[in-house]
Amino acid sequence: MIKIDSLNVRIGSKEILREIDLELSHGKWTCLVGPNGAGKTTLLRVILGAAEYSGSVTDNGAEVFNNHSRNVAFVPQHPNIPAGMSVAEYVMLGRAKRDGWGTESKSSKSLVARTLKATGLFGAQNQLVSQLSGGEMQRALIARALVQEPEMILLDEPTSALDLHHQIAILNSIESLKSSGVTIISTMHDITLAAMYADHLVVMKSGGVLLSGAAKSVVHSPELKDAFENRINVFTLESGREVILPNKDELI
Amino acid sequence: MRILRSKTGGEELRSIWRWELTLSAALLLLIVGLLGISFGPINLSFSSIVKSIFGSHNALSEQDQSVLFDIRLPRVILAALVGSALATSGAVYQTVFRNPLADPYLLGAAAGAGLGATIAITNSHQNVYGLLPIFSFLGAILAVLVSFFISGKFFAEPNTLLLSGIAVGSFATAIQTYLQQRHSASLRPVYSWILGELTAASWSVVSWSAIYISIALFILFAIAKQLDGLMLTDEEAYSLGVNPNRLRIIAVIAATLATATAVAASGLIGFVGIVVPHLVRGATHRVTNRALPTIALVGASFLVLADLGARTLLSPAELPIGVITAFVGAPFFLIVLRRKRLVNQ
Repeated sequence: MIKIDSLNVRIGSKEILREIDLELSHGKWTCLVGPNGAGKTTLLRVILGAAEYSGSVTDNGAEVFNNHSRNVAFVPQHPNIPAGMSVAEYVMLGRAKRDGWGTESKSSKSLVARTLKATGLFGAQNQLVSQLSGGEMQRALIARALVQEPEMILLDEPTSALDLHHQIAILNSIESLKSSGVTIISTMHDITLAAMYADHLVVMKSGGVLLSGAAKSVVHSPELKDAFENRINVFTLESGREVILPNKDELI
Repeated sequence: MRILRSKTGGEELRSIWRWELTLSAALLLLIVGLLGISFGPINLSFSSIVKSIFGSHNALSEQDQSVLFDIRLPRVILAALVGSALATSGAVYQTVFRNPLADPYLLGAAAGAGLGATIAITNSHQNVYGLLPIFSFLGAILAVLVSFFISGKFFAEPNTLLLSGIAVGSFATAIQTYLQQRHSASLRPVYSWILGELTAASWSVVSWSAIYISIALFILFAIAKQLDGLMLTDEEAYSLGVNPNRLRIIAVIAATLATATAVAASGLIGFVGIVVPHLVRGATHRVTNRALPTIALVGASFLVLADLGARTLLSPAELPIGVITAFVGAPFFLIVLRRKRLVNQ
């Protein structure tokens, strides 16, 4: 269980997150949704343990800040693309947490090879990461997070750079991690996709949490509409699946 | 999903680094070092050098012995030390600032050292060479500290740090120019120091610079593997067990110690810090910082060769070594850049 009590984050005089209380279960997919500037990425950084905060954020009872005993993978929205680095080297960096820096065991190499195959990047292992397309880069990022064999994976907008087909491919591969007990926490702009994949949704606005609960109930809540200032509509398809679209007239 | 085809081919996962590469660089330094000791206004044969170094007293005449032990050896060793310090710090700065153009003089170290040296030269009447290393060392360290101080938060904004380094550098250069104008007699020694020189090499210079450079390189080699984490975002580095800001501070302090020592021992020798890391990374097609010891060895060989050129090309006159490194380094660098661009396309 990840337990967040009276979490506040300030950067200089700016209040980024305020008075957040939240409980997130392990082994589930939690998705943070809300407009730009709601503080979603900062909350991910706090859960990772890399951001200073006041209040308490514990993972199985241990405070997360600067706690390197956890194995949490992070997939950024805007990666740094190291010039001259091959795809295999880039993915191999993910083994640093398990093997220590600069160690390439045989089993790690074979895990990297298997993961490259699973993400459709095998054959491109000697290509430079700077030459990858947006979709391929996203897959390389996911591959690097997978070889880390994490207990939790945090993803910041994992689908923002992708076309529809690749969005589904990536989200399916993330979803498959749940079966091995990995906790998934992501941000996602597309609420339709968030509702389709996440077990749990957290609605954020202006640094606070408006609502947190099962995806199905959150999608139909007034708080979700409030987060987007009533400029979205929720439709339910015959299959029972929700589709959330911006309200065109309201935007004019 | 589309399966990409690899340009370089091969199904095997390539090793990230191979120790054979480091070994070849060590052999290169050994050969280049022997050449550097052997050639000069007086040529010494390889076999007699090796015999003399291993204790035979009859291999060389007394005069040649003195050339070998009092002039050539300290000079070649100093060139190797300075070359390894500059090349390694350059590579480290490039990783830390995620900027391929970063060089060891980036944070004002060169201008600070220049100002320190100018103060030493303009204010001392006799013992210039005693004070010069201390003043230029302190100048370099102070300039980097001031750059850090005025940039505010240490690494919140690497670009702010770079810009404050430029500002501090310009300020120090302005004072240096003013001092030179006021003491025009100092122009020549300051100028020749700025171009870099190894003529002052002696066992005492070798011993103090060996101590500082060894400490700095030891630290940098120890953190080399983790430095690869800084090529990712800070969150990713953190998730892989690295504290990115602490690592950057350790790296910059150690690289600055190496740079300041190199500058104090030999003046401002340009180009090594940029050319050598790119050369090694380009030639091995590998960007990992596990290459740092190799970069140090190639940097050492590069400067020993450059010094050999400086001593022999216009013999008996001597060229400033900085002229050689730029003269050879710049075209070489362009070739590497061009090849690299073709590979990237």
